[in-house]
Amino acid sequence: MDLTKDVPANEKAEPKVKKKHFKSRKRQQLIGKILVYIILIAVSLVLLAPLGWMLSTSLKSMEEIVSFPPTLLPETFRWENYAFTVQAFPFFNYMQNTLLITAFVVAGNVLSNSFIAYGFAKIDFPGKNILFALVLATMMVPGFVTMIPQYILFTQIGWVGTYLPLIVPSFFGSAFYIFLMRQFYMSVNNELIEAAQMDGANHLYIWSRLMMPLTKPALITIGIMSFNGAWNDFLGPLLYITREENYTLQIGLQSFQNQSTTQWNYLMAGATLVMIPTILLFFFAQKYFIEGMDLTGGSKG
Amino acid sequence: MSTIAWKKHIKRGLILTSTPLILAACADDAESDPAGEDTPDTEENAGSENSGETVQLEFWSFWGSGPRRETIEAIIEDFNNENDNIEVEYVYQPWGDIWTKSLAAIAGGNAPDVIVQDINSVRQRAEAEQATNLQQFIEDDSFSENFYPQLWDTVIYEDEAYAVPFNTDTQVIFYNKDAFEEAGLDPESPPTTWAELEEDARALDIQSGDDWEQIGFYPRWNIGPDVWALNADEGVSWFDDEGNVTINTPEKVAALEWMLEQQDHYGRDTINQFEAEFGSGVADPFISGLVAMRGQNLNYYTNLRENAPEDLNYGVFRLPEYEEGSGHWTWGGGFVLEIPENTENPEASFEFLQYLTSTEVQERFGMNSFDIMANIEANENLTSHPDLEEQGQEMYQMAQESLETTVITPVPLTAPDYIPLVNAEIDAAFLGEKTAQEALDAAQESVENLVEQNQ
Repeated sequence: MDLTKDVPANEKAEPKVKKKHFKSRKRQQLIGKILVYIILIAVSLVLLAPLGWMLSTSLKSMEEIVSFPPTLLPETFRWENYAFTVQAFPFFNYMQNTLLITAFVVAGNVLSNSFIAYGFAKIDFPGKNILFALVLATMMVPGFVTMIPQYILFTQIGWVGTYLPLIVPSFFGSAFYIFLMRQFYMSVNNELIEAAQMDGANHLYIWSRLMMPLTKPALITIGIMSFNGAWNDFLGPLLYITREENYTLQIGLQSFQNQSTTQWNYLMAGATLVMIPTILLFFFAQKYFIEGMDLTGGSKG
Repeated sequence: MSTIAWKKHIKRGLILTSTPLILAACADDAESDPAGEDTPDTEENAGSENSGETVQLEFWSFWGSGPRRETIEAIIEDFNNENDNIEVEYVYQPWGDIWTKSLAAIAGGNAPDVIVQDINSVRQRAEAEQATNLQQFIEDDSFSENFYPQLWDTVIYEDEAYAVPFNTDTQVIFYNKDAFEEAGLDPESPPTTWAELEEDARALDIQSGDDWEQIGFYPRWNIGPDVWALNADEGVSWFDDEGNVTINTPEKVAALEWMLEQQDHYGRDTINQFEAEFGSGVADPFISGLVAMRGQNLNYYTNLRENAPEDLNYGVFRLPEYEEGSGHWTWGGGFVLEIPENTENPEASFEFLQYLTSTEVQERFGMNSFDIMANIEANENLTSHPDLEEQGQEMYQMAQESLETTVITPVPLTAPDYIPLVNAEIDAAFLGEKTAQEALDAAQESVENLVEQNQ
């Protein structure tokens, strides 16, 4: 587009220039905006493409899926794929199981990590820094290293075959969440705590009554992250659940993958259904999620 | 604030922190009977000894849906009905991950009674004491004769059996009969030697400008260089019978050179482009008519049956001979049934294992899954089974023929994890970084080193 075309030159020089300047600035802003939107739309299309592909595949027949070139949209929308998927394995039973585990894990993570981080952020005790470094160091240990010893431990205390190995650890803190919470606590003014202590409040009271509400965004962040973690966990349930009726959705989804064939349409339909709660959760909690991830503690400034 | 009010708050705080723990404890009860319709039974090793009558067995496999699952469940139901004193429970485990889980379960000492395991690693598990020695239960020496000899070989560790073969597979080439006709080839006489294969492939190639509309045949698609190499070397894989490393033999070098020529013919870019489009295994170039001949496991037949359009007119031929008379050598894999170490009822488990590998049951499993079974007689019966359609019978006839020259390549105890070493060198050759001779020489050397370290 030629932006200067419609601007007549020389006439009443001064005000025109001003106007022109103003106009072109407005234009520039508009163009800038359009550019930003184009980039944003392009990036979100790229990000959403796999989702769209999943949805489209979930509605196709296998004959259509294996054919080339692939079709962008299904020739006929086979909604019955979804009905088949939820019947192919005990979908709703597995969903209940997954929800049960997830609910406890979220509660455990939110309470324990907030509690532990409060100690690290607001209470002075000898060896605090070393202990904190140790906690962070656990993040460096890869999960595979601890997998078998942990499994043997849980076997020996008789927890294999129950949900306990999946739930109980979340009540004992996790390094990343502790770090996240601690950073958030750092942004909370110490005077508030001192004032409460002056009034005779102990740490338990301060934590549960003052800090929990103040750190809501961070708590919600942890909630969402541990929801995702537990909801999508595959290896944990795989190892510790021994009876098929206690399986979770992620294990159920795998039943569409066989040694030689994969039923892509049902797998994708199942994956779509399993993803819905995660997407809903993200939309509802999006606002808090972004606040909570702000490790610089936006409230301080 | 009064002290009473404070106590109240502390109490609340305590309740707040302890509730989750109590809840977690409750969860145990909640989950052990989630549907609320199970008859209460003991949690661990349900009633193995205490009832004295019925032995409970747990059986793990990765058949999670479709005909395999339906069939195995029906087979188990029949077994349970026939045996008053054994009750088998089938538990599905996800494909691939079943072995992660079984490894943990065996290490933790709460393994199931019977597991379907990979045929290539039986010796490793026998050596690591993860599998029960079955020799003590095999009363009849002719038991092993029920199975293809190369399959039975894989379960032997120090002259004793540690597993029983269940099913297998063999690599063959599927071809599009209509494409043969269009290219002026006789669809009823597919190629029998590499030279003929190449000749037919050239006839089937269709190129328009720089684009390939139809690829006659590219050997690396779904058949590995290792298979072509053992085909050229008269059935000798990367290791010979004595365990010597036989990677850079002249025949294998020639085989790799031939594969590289095929890559050059189509051009590396063409190959890469096709692999990008089909590498994920979702879209199928054979069904789509882009590839006229395609190497595959014979079990690919199930995919074609389920997913190919009705009018796809296809056939199968054995892997061609390197030179006339050198033999249609090919490769196969498969699965075995194993009883993990330290389970409570290995005897009952073996009884179940015998049932699963009996001719009748093998026939039934094969008929519903089109798997090539380990039991020779079962496959023989399936070649003319009245309940199978003609093409199904033909598949089993092909299986019978191809299995005569099918090599199974269990991982030698002296060379665990040798495969990546070899593949890295072969990839270098395909990338043009090394000649076939250089690549296989290097692979020979590094695998020899590996063997030396493990001896």
